[in-house]
Amino acid sequence: MKRIALDKATPGQILAEKLTRPDGVLLANQGAEVTEGLLRMLARQNVDTIVIEEADGRSAEEVLIEYQNFITALEDRFARVNDSGILLALKKTMIFLAQKERDETLALLSPPEPNKAAPLSQE
Amino acid sequence: MSQPVVQDRVKAKKEVRRIKNLPTVPGIVAKISRMVENPETSAAEVGRLIAQDQVLSAKVLRMANSAFFGMSRKISSISQALVILGFDVVKGLVLTSSVFDMIQKSMAGLWEHSIGCAAASGAVATLLGRDDAEEILVAGLLHDLGKVVLALNLPEEMSLVRKKVAEGPVLFYEAENELLDFDHCDLGQWLAEHWNLPESLAEPMRLHHRPEKAVLKPECVAIVHVADIIIRAKGFGNAGDILVPPISMAAWETLRLRKTDFLPILEILEPKLASLCDLTSIN
Repeated sequence: MKRIALDKATPGQILAEKLTRPDGVLLANQGAEVTEGLLRMLARQNVDTIVIEEADGRSAEEVLIEYQNFITALEDRFARVNDSGILLALKKTMIFLAQKERDETLALLSPPEPNKAAPLSQE
Repeated sequence: MSQPVVQDRVKAKKEVRRIKNLPTVPGIVAKISRMVENPETSAAEVGRLIAQDQVLSAKVLRMANSAFFGMSRKISSISQALVILGFDVVKGLVLTSSVFDMIQKSMAGLWEHSIGCAAASGAVATLLGRDDAEEILVAGLLHDLGKVVLALNLPEEMSLVRKKVAEGPVLFYEAENELLDFDHCDLGQWLAEHWNLPESLAEPMRLHHRPEKAVLKPECVAIVHVADIIIRAKGFGNAGDILVPPISMAAWETLRLRKTDFLPILEILEPKLASLCDLTSIN
């Protein structure tokens, strides 16, 4: 997810956090799609920034490689504490969240890319 | 921990006494300056922003607690400083802060580790429904200030510790204790004394690796201890080594946390970290 200025938002993006007015009134739910109408309404409500889900230009392959690198680094960080049930629970929770993020990022990729992206074909 | 060598401690303490100004982050200072110029900015907004900056917070609190104000009781949070001293005074303290950028030069990633630990402390405190979450957040921000002292004022010792950490799976504070007979917890404690910081902030600086020793606010120290572990587990920032340190069962039991609490804590933490990243890049 990424926080961006409202005037940088474009239709089609997905809100990663719900938006509420200072008085608590809900303006838009988490998961809502950004539309021209929503942007106008948020501007009227003096919203400066929104948090959006990122498709962020990564290919499916890159997302999977990053996930694997994260898991490898996570195992390195936990190398000294794998005998602790509490910390194993922390590690498992982090793996669960990383998997969730990976799957959600993959789902955001549209149109879906083939599993093997051709090298040099991307920015 | 091995028995301290008194001479080394005295030497380190002398180094601490030479420190008058520690660095802070220009982006935040600039943002505070802009905020305080806006008449619509509330004191609470400025307080939250200042609380995200470890050195600026400490500096403001140091000055707020100095003889200059002659407070009868110690001010231990920025929001308290704003209430007691007033918006303009705190603004003055912020704007007169003069040393900004050495922390990032001194130890890459320590700033991120500190704000990450602060956010994690706040997330744990929020989950536990505590009403002193801001104070605990500040304690999380300041917990590793001793490492800034080590990096800036004891560079030879710092490079020995770094070398030791690079050689093998060893925690920063283990290397410190093996090589120096003092660690960043001791340095943080001495700095806290020198800066006249309240014990509620000094205690987590001194005891975040030994939370079972806490007396004044064992729950606050335990939260910082757990937050340090969580943020290291995430690999957010750099605390000097890559390892997740062992967890204190005493701290865990003090907080009455359950293993299933990690999920809501991480879910509270994640968006906070995203917005903190944003904050560090304002220039």
